[in-house]
Amino acid sequence: MKETKEKTEDGQDVIARATSGEYKYGFTSDIDTDIIPAGLNEDVVRRISQLKGEPEWLLEFRLKAFRYWLTLEPPTWAHLDIPPIDFQAISYYAAPKKKEGPKSLDEVDPQLLDTFNRLGIPLEEQKALSGMAVDAVLDSVSVRTTHRERLAEMGIVFCSFSEAVREYPDLVRKYLGKVVSYRDNFYAALNSAVFSDGSFVYIPKGVRCPMELSTYFRINSAGTGQFERTLIVADDEAYVSYLEGCTAPMRDENQLHAAIVEIIVEERAEVKYSTVQNWYAGDAEGRGGVYNFVTKRGLCRGDYSKLSWTQVETGSAITWKYPSCILAGEGSVGEFYSVAVTNNRQQADTGTKMIHIGSNTSSTIVSKGISAGHSQNSYRGLVKVAPQAEGVRNYTQCDSLLLSGTCGAHTFPVIDVANNSAVVEHEATTSKISEDQIFYCNQRGIPTEEAIALIVNGYAKEVMNKLPMEFAVEAQKLLAITLEGSVG
Amino acid sequence: MSSSDSGAFAQYLDLARSNADVLAKGRPALLGDLNAAGANRLEALAAAYRPAAGEINACRLDTLLAPDYGVNIARVPMQADVAASFRCGVPQLNSLLAVVVNDIFRPTDTLLRNMPDGLTVCSLRDIPAQFTDDAAAMLSDTGASVADAVADALTTDGVYIRVAPHTEVEKAVQIVNIFNSPVAMLTPRRVLIHACEGAKVRVLLCDHTQSPATAHLSLQQIQIRVDAGADVEFYDIEESSAATHRLSTLRAVQQRDSRLTVNSDYLSGGTTRNEFDIRVDGNGAYTSLSGLAIISGEQVCSNNVVLRHNAEHCTSRQLFKNALYDNARGAFGGRIIVDEAARYTDAAQTNRNILESADARMEASPQLEIYCDEVKCSHGATTGQLDERALFYMQTRGIPRDEAKRMLTQAFMVDVIDNISFEVLRQRLHILVEKRLSGASADCSTCATACHTQPTEE
Amino acid sequence: MEDLLKVENLRAGIDGKEILRGINLTVHPGEVHAIMGPNGSGKSTLSGVLAGDPRFTVLGGSASLGGADLLALSPEDRSHEGLFLSFQYPVEIPGVTMVNFMRAAINAKRKYLGEEPMSAAEFLKVMRQKRAVVELDNKLASRSVNEGFSGGEKKRNEIFQMAMLEPKVAILDETDSGLDIDALRIVAGGVNKLKTDRNATIVITHYQRLLDYIKPDFVHILYKGRIVHTGGPELALELEEKGYDWIKQEVDNE
Repeated sequence: MKETKEKTEDGQDVIARATSGEYKYGFTSDIDTDIIPAGLNEDVVRRISQLKGEPEWLLEFRLKAFRYWLTLEPPTWAHLDIPPIDFQAISYYAAPKKKEGPKSLDEVDPQLLDTFNRLGIPLEEQKALSGMAVDAVLDSVSVRTTHRERLAEMGIVFCSFSEAVREYPDLVRKYLGKVVSYRDNFYAALNSAVFSDGSFVYIPKGVRCPMELSTYFRINSAGTGQFERTLIVADDEAYVSYLEGCTAPMRDENQLHAAIVEIIVEERAEVKYSTVQNWYAGDAEGRGGVYNFVTKRGLCRGDYSKLSWTQVETGSAITWKYPSCILAGEGSVGEFYSVAVTNNRQQADTGTKMIHIGSNTSSTIVSKGISAGHSQNSYRGLVKVAPQAEGVRNYTQCDSLLLSGTCGAHTFPVIDVANNSAVVEHEATTSKISEDQIFYCNQRGIPTEEAIALIVNGYAKEVMNKLPMEFAVEAQKLLAITLEGSVG
Repeated sequence: MSSSDSGAFAQYLDLARSNADVLAKGRPALLGDLNAAGANRLEALAAAYRPAAGEINACRLDTLLAPDYGVNIARVPMQADVAASFRCGVPQLNSLLAVVVNDIFRPTDTLLRNMPDGLTVCSLRDIPAQFTDDAAAMLSDTGASVADAVADALTTDGVYIRVAPHTEVEKAVQIVNIFNSPVAMLTPRRVLIHACEGAKVRVLLCDHTQSPATAHLSLQQIQIRVDAGADVEFYDIEESSAATHRLSTLRAVQQRDSRLTVNSDYLSGGTTRNEFDIRVDGNGAYTSLSGLAIISGEQVCSNNVVLRHNAEHCTSRQLFKNALYDNARGAFGGRIIVDEAARYTDAAQTNRNILESADARMEASPQLEIYCDEVKCSHGATTGQLDERALFYMQTRGIPRDEAKRMLTQAFMVDVIDNISFEVLRQRLHILVEKRLSGASADCSTCATACHTQPTEE
Repeated sequence: MEDLLKVENLRAGIDGKEILRGINLTVHPGEVHAIMGPNGSGKSTLSGVLAGDPRFTVLGGSASLGGADLLALSPEDRSHEGLFLSFQYPVEIPGVTMVNFMRAAINAKRKYLGEEPMSAAEFLKVMRQKRAVVELDNKLASRSVNEGFSGGEKKRNEIFQMAMLEPKVAILDETDSGLDIDALRIVAGGVNKLKTDRNATIVITHYQRLLDYIKPDFVHILYKGRIVHTGGPELALELEEKGYDWIKQEVDNE
């Protein structure tokens, strides 16, 4: 009996060790940066717009958003303990210094290239040939987009947001703020006022994008916020798979990241949006780390359109994020697959909203929460069936795995059904990692920390399988770093 | 989110303060502090009141309390015909029966004659001297909502039930609530139930009305103390009229190795909002919460559970089912909070809903808040329809579609009813639900069924 | 002799796909018909359409039972008119006891026929008698409809219900599937006991096996939504021996 107890304690130790993986991406890049001094007022908004050479309508959009933002308070309904944020202490614009846009890779700051190489991003052409088109956003400015020419031949637009404003103003103007209005919430209003760059994707009618489109976001400068904006439009019968990766260096102070992602999916089009989020999470005592307050939403406007969100969330000190689907088109499909890992003092309040407006729409939600250390991990979801939406189906499975006695795992779903032909099912379980499974692995010669990694990966598999191949490997590595400690 | 109607609460604060002397004359000494403290809390809570996001409008506290109800603070006695209420009720259980007309407690002769040793069932104004401290202690454990404060500010009577240590009360204690008033009325009702160590008791509450057309708000607060090793079964059946609204809070505290069973059934009424706040403070306790609601017409029924697991090795089971017709609205909020100290908790919650009309609407929000890793917790919620294959199968056997639906809805409710260990009540509920589904007793005032001719089971 | 069941040029489908492409079938009192055919030929669609399964859409043709226009009736009224379908996959109905289920069925039929409901005592007596037909356990009768029944018990329960409802025409849809030899004997024995010169039985089956126990007067072969062959009991034996391929070739080469 005593032996068993020791074993358990030992097991706890191992879990503690295994869950204290060091942040691998915590380096800063020593790059010249243009920064607007900290603080936010109308002048700053005008200055950002001016620096980017924006047209008048976009400045107006920013100013309206800014004025509206002034009337708002930060939301407090999430299960999060957010320290007061001084929005005047943040710099709202940081751009790598440049004379002219780089003509080729040779002209790109070698430090920058080194940064991306360390991140494992296939920015260089050779690596890009492995099949990804990459737009890298460092702090607030889009650095480089690969594979442009090949995509352009198919009529696909994939460029930085600023560029899109210059080159495709009509498209941007038509769709900007149509899914996430600047009035949507506090952080959406803030982003709409100060967003600096991001990615723009347009897939024309009937085109299947032949490669994964990818953006890497990285906050580099100290004391800056990152407010990027992504807009993806898939026209009728188009298809695109879009990947988003995020990292930030280790810093003692908190950094704010408040992005907006808007997606419009037209008739019979399909968009897959995958995120591997690994912003710096702060140290073991909860110092530093990124506040990730993101509004992501897609509108399945066309009939039989489909939007699929997949996210692997391992980073950020605080995550506030609900990638959602508005299923307006008849027979449209929404999916949300999520793995959220929290450790140390991390807090995550994440989930999704599935708003069923069209008839015969269906949605699937699979959420896997893994909590360790002293972290708090919440799933928050809304499944809403409008009165006119006939034949709606939703299935939600929402599991939480606890790896320590000091963490928390919470589930806050809301199910609101106003049509009697709907079938909506929600299931949730919360349990500790199985000691029987660990012991079984031990007996077969697998050390405990490896066993935990195995079990957690198995537990998350259903979601990991939804990621594109290249990302799945990276996501598995991230889980390993977060949970396997020395093994990672 | 619409702003709150502060006038809803202010009118009752005003009523309580400007009639302080009338209240003082009508209430027992025990309730003096309660009224005053209630009024103070009401003032503070009314100012801070914000409706929860997404709350059904009809169920909001400021909506339920918005009408200008009268309150019988002068304690004018109101007559009620007990036999008449029994027509639709849960009659002749061979129980220890007391009647509460609005808020005035009336024991029956049977109760007084047959009161077993160790059991006290009385009005708050007649509490034996040795138990007044016990009752005062329970009363001082106040609820957190503004509605509880309104109730406290205006309460002048209630029911006190105490079971002495190691006493098992064989017969059920039945409290029949009858509303009867010629004018719109709010009735604050207080029920204190204390099962001392090792005691065992069954309490059955049922709501009826004899003035079905009169607007009525029952502002009910039930408190249950389940001491170590005690076993309390509490049943609450609502069968009143569309004009009879209800705002009920049940707060219970469980100690070591205790058992608590709460079953709450909505058969008919107006807008009902039931809050259950259960705190499990002792190790090895067992909690069962269940309820069914058959909601039709313009009826609204909202059940909200907060179950706090604060101790080790406790088990809880929840099962709530709703069938909604016409324009009915239903809501279920279920929150299980497992404290860091509550190791080896086994908590499960199930909510199932059937929408039987295109205009009915159901909102479910089952929540888990877990701060401990040695747990097994789950919840499941579904909203859907009756099984089409089963309906077709029944039709091929000649059962008309409407009747097949009724049978399937009855079957859908069966596990809630069969959960009830109180056999007489279980059988009675099967009948009541069947009658309700066949439209016989949707409302006492229109009920054509002669319930009183039903044979008695005991 | 009058026609008991008359199906003329019946066409039906599911999800916009036509499955029955013109079925003609006439059944007289006292007859046993077997409908055989390879998988996917439309056998279960035929039984479903006759019983009024809402999943199927009737595209044309007619079906009458004892003069009543079946296709115009709700499933329950088809039952009241004397049609019984023994399901290939009997549906489980948790929470509804067999007793309540059968009583509702019997009394609904009586109401349809303008008769008084059956008294509880008489009902229980009839239940007891009819249970004996298929040796159905009393315990099963008090359980929820088909819930937790074994495959054999479910099929016996179907025949028990048939005994209770005394249909004019009973359609047995793959009643032999999933039965061991003892259960098959009991089920077939039950069907034979219920046979009179006023009612008729349609046995839908893939195999000849069941026909050893329930002797058909006519055997029809259904293929691609049409009855392509009709013969006596010997046709079933021929199929058993030669399989369905020769039929398929014959039809496909036309």
